[in-house]
Amino acid sequence: MKQHPLCTDTEQAPSALHPAVPTEMQREWATLNTRRHFLGRTGKVLGWAALASLLGDRGMRGDAYKAGGKDGSGPRDAESLKLPHFAPRAKRAIYLFMSGGPSQVDLLDYKPNLAALYDKDIPDSVRGAQQLTGMTSGQARFPIAPSHWSFKRYGETGTWVSDLLPFTGRIVDDLAIIKSTNTDAINHEPAIMLMNTGNMNAGKPCLGSWLAYGLGSMNDNLPTFMVLQSKLNTKENNQPVSSRLWSSGFLSSEYAGVGLRSTGDPVLYLTDPNGVDREVRRKMLDAVNEINRQTYEELGDPETNARIAQYEMAYRMQTSVPELADLSKEPNSTWDLYGPEAKEPGTFAYNCLMARRLAERGVRFTQVYKRGWDMHDNVTGILPIICGETDRGCYALVTDLKRRGMLDDTLVVWAGEFGRTVYSQGGLSPENYGRDHHPRCYTTWMAGGGVRTGITYGETDDYSYNVVKDPVTVRDFNATILHCLGMDHNRLTYKFQGLEQKLTGPTPASVVQGLLA
Amino acid sequence: MKTIEGLVQKIKPWLPKSHSARTAWVGALATTVTLLLLARLVPLDGRPHADWEQFLGRFHPLVVHLPIGLLMLVPVLEIAGKFRPGLKQAVGFVLGLALGACALALALGFLLAHGGGEAGPGVTRHLWSATALTIAVLLCVLARPWQSQGHVPFAYPALLTCALLVLFYTAHQGGALTHGSNYLTQYMPASLKRLSTLGAKAPPATSFYARHINPILDAKCAACHGESSVKGGLLMDSFESLMKGGQDGPVIIAGHPEQSLLLQRVMLPPDHKQFMPAEGKPPLKPEEISWIREWIQQGASPTATALAGISIREERETQPIEPVGDYGALMNEIRQLAQGQGAKLVPVSSKPQDGLILYTVDVSSNFGDAQLTQFQKFAPYIVEAELGRTAVTNASFDTLKLFTHLRALHLEETQVTGDGLAKLSSLSQLTYLNLSGTQVTAAALAPLSSMKNLRSVYLYNTPAQPAPLVGQAQPLTRNTP
Repeated sequence: MKQHPLCTDTEQAPSALHPAVPTEMQREWATLNTRRHFLGRTGKVLGWAALASLLGDRGMRGDAYKAGGKDGSGPRDAESLKLPHFAPRAKRAIYLFMSGGPSQVDLLDYKPNLAALYDKDIPDSVRGAQQLTGMTSGQARFPIAPSHWSFKRYGETGTWVSDLLPFTGRIVDDLAIIKSTNTDAINHEPAIMLMNTGNMNAGKPCLGSWLAYGLGSMNDNLPTFMVLQSKLNTKENNQPVSSRLWSSGFLSSEYAGVGLRSTGDPVLYLTDPNGVDREVRRKMLDAVNEINRQTYEELGDPETNARIAQYEMAYRMQTSVPELADLSKEPNSTWDLYGPEAKEPGTFAYNCLMARRLAERGVRFTQVYKRGWDMHDNVTGILPIICGETDRGCYALVTDLKRRGMLDDTLVVWAGEFGRTVYSQGGLSPENYGRDHHPRCYTTWMAGGGVRTGITYGETDDYSYNVVKDPVTVRDFNATILHCLGMDHNRLTYKFQGLEQKLTGPTPASVVQGLLA
Repeated sequence: MKTIEGLVQKIKPWLPKSHSARTAWVGALATTVTLLLLARLVPLDGRPHADWEQFLGRFHPLVVHLPIGLLMLVPVLEIAGKFRPGLKQAVGFVLGLALGACALALALGFLLAHGGGEAGPGVTRHLWSATALTIAVLLCVLARPWQSQGHVPFAYPALLTCALLVLFYTAHQGGALTHGSNYLTQYMPASLKRLSTLGAKAPPATSFYARHINPILDAKCAACHGESSVKGGLLMDSFESLMKGGQDGPVIIAGHPEQSLLLQRVMLPPDHKQFMPAEGKPPLKPEEISWIREWIQQGASPTATALAGISIREERETQPIEPVGDYGALMNEIRQLAQGQGAKLVPVSSKPQDGLILYTVDVSSNFGDAQLTQFQKFAPYIVEAELGRTAVTNASFDTLKLFTHLRALHLEETQVTGDGLAKLSSLSQLTYLNLSGTQVTAAALAPLSSMKNLRSVYLYNTPAQPAPLVGQAQPLTRNTP
């Protein structure tokens, strides 16, 4: 780094507004720190300290002090938090996150009348004064692109499902398909943050962390909240997902999601290096924990306790994760159901199988991410690929949970961050088209614990553009998930920065009663 | 002759003495006879008559509430009159008004029935009970003065009680005519329903017609086409009579919904003269129409249990959940368990009455029958036991049978073979039993059939598969379009 000759701490040239202070002058200033300074500052500090003690622990620090396990004893107990609020229908949840925004028009929101409107402009009355993304706002016209695929009716419910999802078709009788999900965000990052954390800005705890916080652990040997990323397919347009999405925000970091890698070791550096056996590891941890405990006593930062708990968790995961990842005992019926792809670590099918295994082992919340649903062009080229990658896994997971008797108390959620436009982005031809982001309506589904089966909830207009019946906002969607797991979204709060923070944010949200069994 | 004279002598003290009273009695007698003969002279033949009859008759629903209110007021005034004598003086007036209102309602009701061509046992019952009511009120009016005169003091209260009972019956019949006979009981809580039927439970209907079509017709059509009233000669209370049709011929032509009169009429625009249900009664919901259409399309069978492409969520009778007792005294031990690395007892929710869940996932293979017995003291508070992948065996049933509030039991992938499952049959709250991945056989499951609250038994990957019991565990079927 290049140092300016006059200056000790900046490489910038001096400016009139921010004069650089020569080192000598700084030294001189330091010596001028007189008794008067000292007394003045001490008085202020004492005043603040008195105020803090008057306000009590919670006044300044929020719930963090209370929530971070006391005396390093690990996770908070549900007893003191009075959680869950009521008897849950689901003990755990699996969230299949379709990152990028799956095209509802091509998958589950059947609009047969669109075929006749091929290449016609979408009426202005339908679009209204909506602000579009920069990707299509410059387009001269918005020609309707009917779905390239035909739909069939499946199940006893006769639900229309695209030919792209033949496996999903087999489970429609177990799903609650929500056609009226809608979001406030139009771009990936804010939209995916909103879906996961209830806020477009980073820094809030995500759904899984709230669940871990509210429900506590069922298994001491595995994290309460796990994240599985599916392998990337480079043919697809993969929008980034980051650990912000499974961050615990202002909640203790014990509640953050723990990711399993899609290739190699599921958890890096979990195996002991050569020459270190479990006993040595134990001794090392005991020593580290002792030091951490002293630090906690000295500083009182609850994050120190979280760190102790995480070291211990990692130690236990040294045995629990290899057992988890060992699929050799899975019966043949598993492979018949999930397909051969499931044997390859990192595929979506493999992750679905892992999600089932995690659910069996008491993990409260598993989130499986599949990227690549962002199709601004070449829908007919890419959509069949990604549907092929995901369709069977979804079907296999729901079916497997059902036959094992786990669907009664496991909630399965399938959702992306938004939908896609009915009009074509870029050129429209009979063979191909693109679709831009569409926040006003998109299709999601839920299955299992606490959710009505075999229903379609909400309706969109003839263009799959606006919701015309029973809208479900992201807030309502998340409130409903919390409800299935026994929590009232208005009461699952955490005091931080002077606010009673909650997953659904300050805007009123409501549990979607029509989705509940 | 002598005997008659003797008889007259005998009843003389009973007969009215004054001239006016005698006239009143004669008038009453004449009215009674007229009323009783009315239905004979002008029978309800099920054919519509003059329009003016219907015009006036349709005021019946308006007027009919007057006598109800007035008559209900009479006993109130009589009782309240004991404390405030002024009220007693009003009774005669109110009773007279009630009589007038009764007569008017009866007349209008008769016009409605006759004019509109109503017939059927329900209408007849309503008419006869209304007639009886009018006569009873008339007698009340006549008998009331006796009370003050000291003759037969009990006659008036008895007559009034009779009149009120007849009133309730008549009003209920009338309600059944307008709203359908299951109007009152349709949304009755299941527990009450069980009480009201007192075990006289019909076997659960299995056919699509009995479960879905008949209830629609019952709720929406039976008021005019039920046993109480058979308009247009069409009776819809049973499959046979429905298929027979009415005056205009059959209303359902199997396989041809578009030619079926029933469907045509319910699908007319609501303001159409022939729209059904008529007279502003609640119309059929779109999904109800679509079920009927599919049912006709697929052969209008009385026995078919399911229709392709149609699935209707059914309200399951839910067993009331028995709250567990207070386990506060054991809370310290529960907390200690939570601190340790062993099996844990976790409250279902913040409400203690929701009970505890026994989790063993941390210790699975080290948790056996011996460990389970240590949880005996918590037995009545445990509502769910997760013993999947533990080392428990058939011997665990001896402990588990003490878990009186157990609702869900997980025994998947254990050494359990099912011998002694019968011991669990005393667990009346048990609804869920997971035996997947065990060696249970179909024979070992036989004792479970007596547990009527046991709704889901999972037998995936067992010798007993496929599930011999209820629905949920059955494999998925796919209907092609």
